[in-house]
Amino acid sequence: MNPFRVAVAVAIKDLRSEWRTRELVPALAQFIVLALLIANFGFQIDARDAPQIVPGVLWLALVFAGLVAFGRTFSAEREQASLEAMMLTPASPIAIFAGKAVAATALLILCEAVLVPALSLFFGTALDPGVVFAVLLATVGMAALGCLFAALVARVRARELLLPLLTLPLWIPFIIAGGQAVQAALGLPGNYDEAVGLLIDFDILFVVLTSLAARYVLDE
Amino acid sequence: MNRYRTWAALAVALMLGAGAAIYYAPTDYLQGVVQKIFYLHVSSAIAAYGCFAVVLVGSLVYLRNESAAADRFARSGAVVGVVFTTITLVMGSLWAKPIWGSFWTWDARLTSTLVLWIIYAGYLLVRRMADPGRQAARLAAVVGIFGFIDVPIVHFSVTWWRTQHPGPVVVNDALPPQMLATFLFTLACTLVLAAVLIGIRYRIETLLDARLRAIEPAPIVSAAPEAEPTA
Amino acid sequence: MIYMVIAYAFAVATLAGFLAWSLRTLRALERKP
Repeated sequence: MNPFRVAVAVAIKDLRSEWRTRELVPALAQFIVLALLIANFGFQIDARDAPQIVPGVLWLALVFAGLVAFGRTFSAEREQASLEAMMLTPASPIAIFAGKAVAATALLILCEAVLVPALSLFFGTALDPGVVFAVLLATVGMAALGCLFAALVARVRARELLLPLLTLPLWIPFIIAGGQAVQAALGLPGNYDEAVGLLIDFDILFVVLTSLAARYVLDE
Repeated sequence: MNRYRTWAALAVALMLGAGAAIYYAPTDYLQGVVQKIFYLHVSSAIAAYGCFAVVLVGSLVYLRNESAAADRFARSGAVVGVVFTTITLVMGSLWAKPIWGSFWTWDARLTSTLVLWIIYAGYLLVRRMADPGRQAARLAAVVGIFGFIDVPIVHFSVTWWRTQHPGPVVVNDALPPQMLATFLFTLACTLVLAAVLIGIRYRIETLLDARLRAIEPAPIVSAAPEAEPTA
Repeated sequence: MIYMVIAYAFAVATLAGFLAWSLRTLRALERKP
């Protein structure tokens, strides 16, 4: 079976299933609203220091949304059953994993597509393409890691505790480099190109590693 | 049992020797007696990294050929490694307070050591929460491998981040020869202690595994086809 | 300095305690058939 086709098929299946139930999108929308409200009332933001605070709010919201989005990719009961069924086919585990990762990433990007402009709108920071690019780059690597560990804890007890515990340490490099990139794009001191270069390096490294690890995690 | 007791006694004797060496080591001119925390603090950090290297190798070997021994080494290394990391963090914080003014700072070393602790605490949790046996071993192996790779990356990231915003803290690593000798001796003793602790833990895990196998239901073996009765 | 004393007290207590506990666990496991 063509692995590329398998991945696409799995991704479409997941997205279609999400479209039918529409459970995840409202949860992610909640994060966006929460991020905006808490940022406004929790911090003293005015036009001058918005660029300093908004990147932090952005990454906070993204990390939490990511944990929710990737956690759900493997957790539902029917997901487990269909995952086992898929593993019985000759399809490569990497392709199946890639498909689920792509679907979860798409949902997260949907969330970002609302969050980033909303932050820009409500707090007056520039809607910079540099910001968008950095966020997208970071999403790729974070998605690969998030999905791998979501698959890992799917059949383990205490998975709601374990997923953030395992995933956040691995996301730290992305938060650091991504945070720097967004700050630099918004005009704060920092080297945007270096930060983006780091993001690309991390993306390549972790996408390769998670692909290698996928079959050990998905296998029964 | 006796063999392990002997090794333990040796390790304890060595540590006492290291303690004496630390006691008689010269006092730092700038920092005073507090600086002596350095000897066991850094030795513990290095011992911890060594333990997690054991976890890495054990995990890789286990994923490759499902060797139970490799998995036991990984498990043992993780437990001992977390103990030494805890000691590193606590001693470091107690050293930081009088010297830097606060128990904690988010520089590269502290951050990556904290991340190290979190990752391998997660490793131990995964082992505890997953179905014992193959599932726990596999999943933990993945955690162990990713964790080991992540720590230098976090260290590098924070260092890079800090160079974007240079701060006033500069660490001077020059050591006078007497202090260096004391440190190397303490390090050697600590590594011996770590090895002994891993060895004991490995034996414990072997015995626990044997027990687990005794409780597990016997595997179903296909019956040999019965001979057809001749008419 | 008090910080150094606390630091080493903690380290010694933890390591010695862990070693003692490990040996005790080993003895208990090897004793039971």
